[in-house]
Amino acid sequence: MTDIAEQEVIDIGDMDVETFNEYATEQGWSDGMPLFVPTEAKVAKFVDTVRGDNRPYSPVPPRQIVPTIQAMAANAVMAGCKPEYFPVVTAAMRSVLEPDFNLHGTLATTHSCAPMVMISGPIRKELNVNCSSNCFGQGWQANATIGRALGLMLLNIAGAKPGEMDRSTQGNPAKFTFCFGENEEENPWTPYHVQRGFKPTDNVVTVMSGEGPHNLNDHGSTTGDGLLTTFAGGMATPGANTVYGKGPSFIIIGPEHAATLKRDGFTIETIREELWQRSRIHISRVSKGNLDTYASTGHEPEGDYLRIGRSPQDLHITVAGGPGKHSAFIPSFGGTMVACTRIQ
Amino acid sequence: MLIVNPTFGLAAAAGPTVALKPINWATDAIALMSNSKPNARELLEGMKAKLGAFRNVDNIEFHAKNSASQAAPKELIQAVAGRYRAALLALGD
Repeated sequence: MTDIAEQEVIDIGDMDVETFNEYATEQGWSDGMPLFVPTEAKVAKFVDTVRGDNRPYSPVPPRQIVPTIQAMAANAVMAGCKPEYFPVVTAAMRSVLEPDFNLHGTLATTHSCAPMVMISGPIRKELNVNCSSNCFGQGWQANATIGRALGLMLLNIAGAKPGEMDRSTQGNPAKFTFCFGENEEENPWTPYHVQRGFKPTDNVVTVMSGEGPHNLNDHGSTTGDGLLTTFAGGMATPGANTVYGKGPSFIIIGPEHAATLKRDGFTIETIREELWQRSRIHISRVSKGNLDTYASTGHEPEGDYLRIGRSPQDLHITVAGGPGKHSAFIPSFGGTMVACTRIQ
Repeated sequence: MLIVNPTFGLAAAAGPTVALKPINWATDAIALMSNSKPNARELLEGMKAKLGAFRNVDNIEFHAKNSASQAAPKELIQAVAGRYRAALLALGD
C-alpha cells in the first residue's frame, strides 16, 4: 500500500472561516452548507476518541482509496460534530463498507437514495441523539452532524461528487443528513439492534441506503388492523425501486401507533407478515412498459401482484418519533442491505 | 494554518496484472454484456447487427447482470472471461 499523490496535511496560510469556506468550496469539499475548519488540533481530538480501534478499513468505492482516520475525522470536524460523536461516524463508515451494502451502486445510481443512519443503545442518551418528536428533522446537533459527516466522507473520500460520480437524477434532502435514534423507551417490542442479535446494552449504528421518510398518516384508525391497512397502502408504491430492486425497507412506527398495535396483540413478526401480505401492488397500478422491463430482468409478478421485497424479512420494523398519529416508510435503493455495526 | 486534507487516503494494494492477448475481431468469440438497464439489450443488438455485416455472429452471445443496481457476480465475470476473447458492454438507462 502506498500513499496516493496528495498531501495529508495542507498549509492553507492565514484564513478566516469565510475564506476557508470559499477555499473548501473551490476544492469541491463542501455540501453547500458552511464548514468548520479541520485544523490539525481539532482533528487530533477526534482521532483520540477511536484510539485502540485498529481494525482496517476496506477501500472506499467508487474512488477505491483506503480512508485514514485523520481524513475521516477532518470530515467530521467540517460537519460540526463533537469529538465524542466520532466513534458513531466511523461505525457508520464501516457499515456502508459492508460488501452487500453496495456502496458503489448506491453512490453512483440515478436513484435519489441517501445513507439513513439509525443509532441504538445507551449512547443515544449520552450523545443527546433525538429519538422522539421531529427525530428525522432539525434541531439536534448529534442527528444533524453525524449524518452530515457520513455524507461529507462519501463526497470527499469516496468521491461521490454530484453530477460526476454521484449521478442522482434529482437527489434528496436526506443527502445533507439523515440520522436519528430509535425510541427504545416507547418501543413495546424489541429494539431493532436486539432484533439483529446485539445486546440491549450495545451501542449500534444501522445504515440503509434509502429514500427520505414517506409519511404514514393515520388519525382515524383505532385498531392495529386499521393501522396496518394504512401502512400497507402507503408502502405499496409502484414508483419505489423496491418494486423491482427487491431490497429492504424500514417501517418506523410512531409510539402512539405502536401502542395501538401492541394493545391489539401484534408483534414485530406478525406486523411484518401482515404488511408483507397487504403491501402487494396490483399490476393494474403498473404500466405495461414497466411490467415488461421488470419481467426482462427476472422480476415477474406473482399472479396479479408485485411484491415490494424478496421476503417478509426485507421489512425492517422499529419505533421512533414522538406524540402523534404518524409513522414512516423508508424504501431502500433496492440492491443494498441493512448493515449494523457495534460502536466501539 | 495547517489543516487535514478531508480527501486524503491510501492507495489500495494493486491487483494482479493481466496480460492481454490480441483479439481477432473477425472470428473470436465475443460476449455482449448488458447492465440490465432499459435499452442496454437494444444497444447490444445493434452492435451485433453491425458486426454481422463483416463476420459470423454465431459465437457472439448476450449476457446480463441479474440486477441493474448491483455488480455482476464473480461467477458471471469468470465465465465470460473463460469463454470469450472480448466483451462489449452496454450501459443503458
